Amino acid sequence: MEQRAQLYGVMGEFETAHQLLHAAEQVRDAGYKHMDAYAPFPVEGLSEALGLGRNLVPLVTLLGGLGGGLGGFGFEYWVNIVSYPMNIAGRPLNSWPAFIPVTFELTVLGAALSAVFGMIALNGLPRPHHPVFNVHRFLRASSDKFFICIEATDPKFNLAETARFLHGLNAQHVTEVQDE
Amino acid sequence: MTAQEYQAPESVNRLQNSALAVGAIALVLGCFLGLRDPEAKDAFFRAYLMGYMLILGFALGSLGLLMLQHLTSGQWGIMIRRPLESATRTLPLLLILFIPIFTIGMQHLYGAWMDPEKLKEEPLSLMQQSYLTQSHYRIRAIIYFALWLLLAWIFNRLSRQQDVNREDRALRQRFKMFAGPGIIAYVFSLSFAVIDWVMSISPHWASTIYGFLFVAGQLISSMALMAIIVVFLAHTGPLAGLLQKRHLWQFGGLLFAFNMLWAYFSFSQLLIIWSGNLPEEISFYRTRLYGSWGIVAVIVLIFHFFVPFFLLLSKDLKRNQNLLPKVAMWMIFMRLVDLYWLTQPEFYHNASPHALDFVLPIALIGLWLAFFAWNLKRAPLLPLGDPKLAEAIASHEH
Repeated sequence: MEQRAQLYGVMGEFETAHQLLHAAEQVRDAGYKHMDAYAPFPVEGLSEALGLGRNLVPLVTLLGGLGGGLGGFGFEYWVNIVSYPMNIAGRPLNSWPAFIPVTFELTVLGAALSAVFGMIALNGLPRPHHPVFNVHRFLRASSDKFFICIEATDPKFNLAETARFLHGLNAQHVTEVQDE
Repeated sequence: MTAQEYQAPESVNRLQNSALAVGAIALVLGCFLGLRDPEAKDAFFRAYLMGYMLILGFALGSLGLLMLQHLTSGQWGIMIRRPLESATRTLPLLLILFIPIFTIGMQHLYGAWMDPEKLKEEPLSLMQQSYLTQSHYRIRAIIYFALWLLLAWIFNRLSRQQDVNREDRALRQRFKMFAGPGIIAYVFSLSFAVIDWVMSISPHWASTIYGFLFVAGQLISSMALMAIIVVFLAHTGPLAGLLQKRHLWQFGGLLFAFNMLWAYFSFSQLLIIWSGNLPEEISFYRTRLYGSWGIVAVIVLIFHFFVPFFLLLSKDLKRNQNLLPKVAMWMIFMRLVDLYWLTQPEFYHNASPHALDFVLPIALIGLWLAFFAWNLKRAPLLPLGDPKLAEAIASHEH
């Protein structure tokens, strides 16, 4: 069965992190919205340069932490007061100081797990394949080259024009990316 | 970069003069209110000790932060290294301000182990009898101050040497060599000092984490002060334009961390004493968690911990140079409320602050700030010989 190749976007290759940062700013300023940058190491300021804005990980973490804390305290409260009340050394059933360590630990656990898994989910992972890997030169994104890919879903996208635009940014190679 | 370019701006002069004026007026008023009759004299020294512990926190907390910065050799402290050093140079003033407690103040504060009448009712253990005496208290106080002054002198001297010998690698190592043992000495000496100066007000109660409560409290108050001062210094003069959001972010983050540390220690003490439920230990919380002192306890819990905790979670607030100093000022005020709650229930049955509880802390903070500002003018505002300076003030923001 033959699958029709679909255009995913246009990719430009850059030599240094500085060129990538500079190009990303210009792509952003030209009004493109659907694009991504690829680099072998974290480049400081790149997400600002791409205009990515805020991500939701802090919010997910906060909610996870609150959920863990309230769940921990609530469970202890339910066990000690509702489900199985027991007189321990004459203390009140709702001995909240004793509940705090577990509440604290579960807050940390909830926050940490939701930060990790929230980040993975918001990144769209796990994802076994991505169209950019169809470009052979892209292998070097994990060693010594820097890439920007402007995606075909962008409202401003026009194959010829976008390619010319990337050339104008001094991209060394400009390649079409096919999604098979 | 020359030393002249980084002199303190004119605003530091104005801060020094107005703080001195406020401090002097409040001190005169405090002496007038406090030295009338023996009862007012008691109130005077109780409020004095409380205010003194706060300003001691500014100086010693700064010493701790300074050593921490040398030890971790991060970029985070470069912007505040000179203000931290200036704060440690206020220790001679703190030595002078300790004299009232050291001399006549003792009998007003430590009646529980100095007054023979009270000792008859509740005698001390043999160990305490030899430890808590007037002369031993005084000898130990001299040792604490000698140690702190020595540490402050070492780091200030090395820092001024670095301004001249900028490429001296051996000098950079020497900071670290002193900072490691220095931090240990700071924590131990402060722990012993607060046992003598504050915990011994009620000698029958003891807690081993008590010193750490003050270590964390001092780190909060000096970090908060530094967040305020660095924004103040960046309004005009040579630092204008150098202060960046990421610097404030680091200071706000540390303030948040130290507040958590303080809450952790405070709660640890509560949990252990509450679980043990022993008569001689629980007295601390019996007096502090019920009645009007209980209201103060709830105020401390909510406004010292929860409110700053949730405010400082916000990345925007930590990076905002209008809001972060406001939260920092609030935290310093709450440090004073916490010190009020720690020290005064031993003296008063009810939490009804005396006029002196406001006047004397204002006096001491005023005098301290004036001397701190005077010290700020003695050295360039940035550590010009620090190898990380260029990296620390480079602008990454596009």
